[in-house]
Amino acid sequence: MKEMDVQGFKALALQCRFELSDEEAQDIKNEFDILISQMRLLDKIDTTGTEPMIYPFETVSHFLREDVVEDVLVISEVLKNAPKEKNGFFVTQKVVI
Amino acid sequence: MDIKSLIKSTSVEKRVEDAVNRSHSVQNALNAMVSFIDPKDQLEALGQLSKNLPFYGVPVILKDLVNMKDTRTTGSSGILDNYISPYDATITKKLKEAGAIIIGKSSCDTFGMGGTNMTAWTGPVHNPYDLSRMSGGSSGGSAVLVASGVVPMAIGTDTGDSIRKPASFNNIVGLKPTYGRISRYGVIPYASSLDHVGVFTRNVKDAALSLEVLSGRDDKDMTSSFHPVEKYSELLTGSLMGKKIGIIQNVVDSIKNPETLNQFNDLCHKLEEKGADIKLIHLNEDLMHAFLPTYYIIANAEATANHSNLDSLRFGVLKEGKTMDESMILSRTAGFGKLLKKRFVIGSYALFTENQEEVFRKAQKVRRLIVEDIKRVLDDVDVIMAPASSQGAPKFDDAATDLLSSEYLIAENYMALANFSGYPSITVPMGYVEGLPVGVNLTAYAFEETKLLDIAYGIECTTGIVDIIKEVTQ
Repeated sequence: MKEMDVQGFKALALQCRFELSDEEAQDIKNEFDILISQMRLLDKIDTTGTEPMIYPFETVSHFLREDVVEDVLVISEVLKNAPKEKNGFFVTQKVVI
Repeated sequence: MDIKSLIKSTSVEKRVEDAVNRSHSVQNALNAMVSFIDPKDQLEALGQLSKNLPFYGVPVILKDLVNMKDTRTTGSSGILDNYISPYDATITKKLKEAGAIIIGKSSCDTFGMGGTNMTAWTGPVHNPYDLSRMSGGSSGGSAVLVASGVVPMAIGTDTGDSIRKPASFNNIVGLKPTYGRISRYGVIPYASSLDHVGVFTRNVKDAALSLEVLSGRDDKDMTSSFHPVEKYSELLTGSLMGKKIGIIQNVVDSIKNPETLNQFNDLCHKLEEKGADIKLIHLNEDLMHAFLPTYYIIANAEATANHSNLDSLRFGVLKEGKTMDESMILSRTAGFGKLLKKRFVIGSYALFTENQEEVFRKAQKVRRLIVEDIKRVLDDVDVIMAPASSQGAPKFDDAATDLLSSEYLIAENYMALANFSGYPSITVPMGYVEGLPVGVNLTAYAFEETKLLDIAYGIECTTGIVDIIKEVTQ
């Protein structure tokens, strides 16, 4: 498992698009040793030949439905939650400058 | 009083008014509500519905993860503090169609990520049995609102034990059905492969009735099941004769509190006297020690991915920066609490390219072995059973001291077995330890809710702890 320090946690947080204060990063670092010890408990278990389990049941419960429009959300109602909107669109800062 | 009796004995106006008044009167002490919903429009709409509906005019509460059109749904977070749902979750729709009157949204650990309810954006929820103690979480608000008599039923969600542990701490019933039994469409997720919707009630009959109303296939949730829904509430007999109950010995052995053990042993003797066949079962100890880290890795990795859509550009509280990226970072930094950030960092760590095979895939493989072990023991019994917690609700400043002990890893965290497997699981009151309620937890094989509820009903009849309302005094 990759070793982590305070700066490493801050970098990881930034990849998730938020920042950690020095105190928050240090708290995570302090707890990390115990967490790694807990994760190491998995090493005791032989998983050779075992497939990962993604969902509890492997019976197929999804299918392609008919391509019929239903339960459409009203755009004006959805946009009420947008910090900024114009002409039926979300408004953000320029992405391509 | 169960819901059927409540409907017969009171008028709609009185029961809704009582619930609304009580929700306000306990708020100062419990801090359990995030939003109060004016029931006026729902009461008007009720006039168009049949009076024979199972929840006709019955006040209920939704965990603050459940969307209801035109109401706030914050996930008890800062980033969604201003979010107004533009649609109903499937369970909201089903409750309305069954005649229920939704009077509010209850506090939870942010996005259901926690076991204490201390991470809610609106502050901790207090336990009605002792206000200096926690409610348990993540569905703590719903639990205490049922326990204190505000509503007879409240919705919770359960990813690790978030319904069944707070039920134990609050002397009520907490049911997490089979994965896929109840649709999750419109419910803010935590970890998609582990999340379940369920209910809190004050008796098993109401849990069964609620399950009937909420269950069923929903094409909007691809994980929801086609398995037929039974008339659970009509199939309760309470008979324990010949029922095979497997005691999870690993859990019992990990509990140190002698009073909890006495309560549990006493219950087992009483169940035997009623004809139950009590068997001791052992799960693989190494796998049990791995429950918590396996859960932590999978849940946090899934959560990190699920909540990457919280950018505050399309919805949510925006902290504007100079660029779109900076706005996203500022908004997420301000809108996420400390624990949420920690969980996302851990989830992200598990998904690191270097760690994916060694941490994330390994946890998914261990999960399969855990589920195979649970299946093995359930082949010989109807349900498996153990205390739902090793003691009553902790005080707010109590912290587990040894996070590698069996008491912590097994006794306090074993109920995630029903999330790994997706199997139905229920907590019912067992007794009192040092004056605080402690529950007992049962788990059955997938879609065996009828059997699970019937044995739980038998236990309820045995303990006599049913329909308890804890008056709140400050």
